[in-house]
Amino acid sequence: MSTEQETVEAQIEPEAVQSDATVSNEEQPHTEVAEHEYTIDELKQELAETKHKAQENWDKALRVHAEMENLKKRMQKDLEDTHKFAITNFAKELLTVMDSLVLGLQAATGDSEDVKKFREGSELTIKQFEAVFNKFNIVTLDPLGSPFNAEQHQAVMMQAVQGVEANTVVNVLQKGYMLNGRLLRPAMVIVAKAAD
Amino acid sequence: MAKIIGIDLGTTNSCVAVLENGVARVIENSEGARTTPSIIAFTNDDEVLVGQSAKRQAVTNPKNTLFAIKRLIGRRFKDDIVQKDIHMVPYKIVEAENGDAWVQVHDKKMAAPEISARVLMKLKKDAEAYLR
Repeated sequence: MSTEQETVEAQIEPEAVQSDATVSNEEQPHTEVAEHEYTIDELKQELAETKHKAQENWDKALRVHAEMENLKKRMQKDLEDTHKFAITNFAKELLTVMDSLVLGLQAATGDSEDVKKFREGSELTIKQFEAVFNKFNIVTLDPLGSPFNAEQHQAVMMQAVQGVEANTVVNVLQKGYMLNGRLLRPAMVIVAKAAD
Repeated sequence: MAKIIGIDLGTTNSCVAVLENGVARVIENSEGARTTPSIIAFTNDDEVLVGQSAKRQAVTNPKNTLFAIKRLIGRRFKDDIVQKDIHMVPYKIVEAENGDAWVQVHDKKMAAPEISARVLMKLKKDAEAYLR
């Protein structure tokens, strides 16, 4: 509005620089009033709003930052786990080969020279196999005689056995294996029944 | 920031997932498996097992190993399905005071949702371990 007034007055007295100066002198208080059109209350409110918005944005930034940190950690762990358990499927398949070797050795009974040689060879192969397992942090579970542990053993059957405490593993049908602390395959076991 | 997880509570198996970059991602449980058997066991030393470990000891503890509990949720004891179940499962299904089908373990009666909640608790815990 003040600028309009200014132009109108400037049009009325276009000739004098002096009058121009007077105009601007006269106008100055007007302009100042115009700049102060906001009341203090309004300014206070706007400041509060701006502060609130700044705080909101800051919170958002913090949250995004925290989320990023979490994501980084999770990714790191994911990567570690992927490394640690990359061979899981392959190792599981190999276990059956190991089982067959052990079964073959168990089946080879007899006293002839040939059978003895075969047994020797099988035993060595199994040892080699175990060494490879060791290298890759695969641990064998052979819980015969220890208490049944559902985290590592799979109970297949219960059997009443004289002189054995209930819930003890009395027979291991198939050995179990752990890879880097995670169960690869539970040990298949027969558990002692409580005497009725 | 709080995360939202989705849980599929199944009759035999359950699964938990989280939305990551707009894609649902199944979270592996503490044993590294993507599904958890919906099986709950109360051992003789008052331990509660949930999931794979409960399944592994089922043979040794059939009366206190609960499975397919979801079938009982929201059913009356007198329902045909419940009556049929009674003859099929090794655990004890009993009638609650309000007529609902509950189960009894170690002389303690429990509601079916109470049992299923154990599965949800485990899945939540596993998800928390992953998202931590």
